[in-house]
Amino acid sequence: MIPSIEFRGVSKFFGNIIALKDISFKVFKGEITALLGDNGAGKSTLIKLLSGVHIPSEGEILLSGEPVNFKSPRQAVSAGIGTVYQDLALQPLMSVTRNFFLGREITKGLFLNMPLMNTITKKEMAKLGIDVADPTQPIGTMSGGQRQTLAIARAIYFGANVLILDEPTSALGQKQQLEVLRTIKKVKELGDIAIIFITHNDMHAKLLGDRFAFLNRGKVLAEGSREEIDMNNLRPLMAGGAELEKLETEFSGR
Amino acid sequence: MASDERIRDIGLIRRSISRPELGSVFGLIIIVITFMTLTSISGTFGAMWLNPIGIQAWVELAAFVGILAIGASLLMIAGEFDLSMGANIALAGHSFAIFLLFGVPIELAIILTFIELAFLGFIIGVIVVRTGLPSFIVTLAFWFASRGFAVFLSQTFFNQSRLSVKANLKPPPGGGEDPTLIDNIFAFDKAFGVPFDAEVYYFIILVFIVAFITNRTPYGNWIYASGGDPVAARAVGVPVARVKISLFMISTSLACLLGILTVMTSGASDPKAGDFRELHAIAAAVIGGCALTGGYGSVVGAVLGALIFAIASRGINFVPFIDNNLFRVMLGMLILGSALLNQFLRDRIVKG
Repeated sequence: MIPSIEFRGVSKFFGNIIALKDISFKVFKGEITALLGDNGAGKSTLIKLLSGVHIPSEGEILLSGEPVNFKSPRQAVSAGIGTVYQDLALQPLMSVTRNFFLGREITKGLFLNMPLMNTITKKEMAKLGIDVADPTQPIGTMSGGQRQTLAIARAIYFGANVLILDEPTSALGQKQQLEVLRTIKKVKELGDIAIIFITHNDMHAKLLGDRFAFLNRGKVLAEGSREEIDMNNLRPLMAGGAELEKLETEFSGR
Repeated sequence: MASDERIRDIGLIRRSISRPELGSVFGLIIIVITFMTLTSISGTFGAMWLNPIGIQAWVELAAFVGILAIGASLLMIAGEFDLSMGANIALAGHSFAIFLLFGVPIELAIILTFIELAFLGFIIGVIVVRTGLPSFIVTLAFWFASRGFAVFLSQTFFNQSRLSVKANLKPPPGGGEDPTLIDNIFAFDKAFGVPFDAEVYYFIILVFIVAFITNRTPYGNWIYASGGDPVAARAVGVPVARVKISLFMISTSLACLLGILTVMTSGASDPKAGDFRELHAIAAAVIGGCALTGGYGSVVGAVLGALIFAIASRGINFVPFIDNNLFRVMLGMLILGSALLNQFLRDRIVKG
């Protein structure tokens, strides 16, 4: 199977800073690729390469086997790459429907076609397991998990076949984290979307991931499917292995 | 929809609590009751509320401030601010008068003045968007510059700061002379037997158009999003910079409308025209529920705010036993109270 996204030896430099060095990994449709790494590992640079904010300094990114060179976020979006950022890019005082369609409103003549947009919003949210009782309510009334789902549903509705989720669970409470994990699973079950799930929570990665990639200090430490990766070794890989062991000896000596 | 068990019946009261106009509806009721009571006590109830001249006094002021408040509220919803509106009224009036005195036909003078003011709005908008300076600062600069430039021009060309254009305007039909069509269409001149100045009719038409645009068009959506969270808006493809520039152009164009109408009805352009009106318009917008931080508010609210301002402002003249200066105290408290109430209502929305 051709990967939806493949990184081949991608590097990104900012002046003398090496943000990413020789990154290679694959993402397939219908699968969740968990991208793990600590703060500063280069996760956000990687997202920005994918979503067209930055251009790689070396190497190439392949989209369904074809090399691509996004020059702007707009190009990445129209190529089917949907990014859901941590801040979700939502307007808390605007209604659920207006948020869903913001920037891409459906009109009837000059005016907004609110009934149609309300129906679509309800339908698309229901696909991901959220029953929106009243889509005309301000989004401020929704829970953090529901908002995350809204941002995901929006990306999918507007044609994302690669979905990048930037730490979708990090800012949420326990219960809402589960809600979001459930949503991500629903997206996977849709079957035709490749999901890049960026997280530093090894538990969540273990729960959902089909493939794994570990970033540490700008490099991929390990990459592979569930079978190829030592599942019990997720946490040390993430924290950079040796460092954690060193810490453990330090603490046990106390 | 009604079969959905997750819909709580929140009822009309709770539902309307999440409308930004709510505060100003209460405010209007309170102010009307207050002044009806006060005028009854001083025996001037009929003069203010029943006499056509009394009604004219506050309705026309409400329209004047209200037209500016439309621009002020749109900008505030988008997270911006225009302090130069009042000064732009003088600039528009003087520009229009100068065009006329140079022999430009009245129709063309109107068009040229609108182009000039829209261009000014474009410049202000571009400066704000490109430099990232707060619009408060940028438009403060034009608060000085616009009026200064207007008076400079009239001093240079005509050696006077107040420009009379009576001779260049056609007198109203009541005066017996032949009125031009544009005179009547644009400024009404009270010539058609209409009871109010032209501002009132422009005001009513504009309110309907703008309320429709803000609630029912993509552009309206973008105005709210540009003020609510500009970064998020840009991320989903809203042309935030263009929205803001267009709003500054609307703001200067509304000032232009008032400037021209003032010259047409008074026959002269006064360098003091529109003085402090920008603050009155902003007060109306705040009373009407607009948040200074952007993303929240409504044009209808601002209109009600303008009505509140006008009734309080003119009404005080009908109540001789209250000192005029107390009006300012009252207005100040009104703004403060409205801002507090609106903040409370806004919080309720986010908390559900």
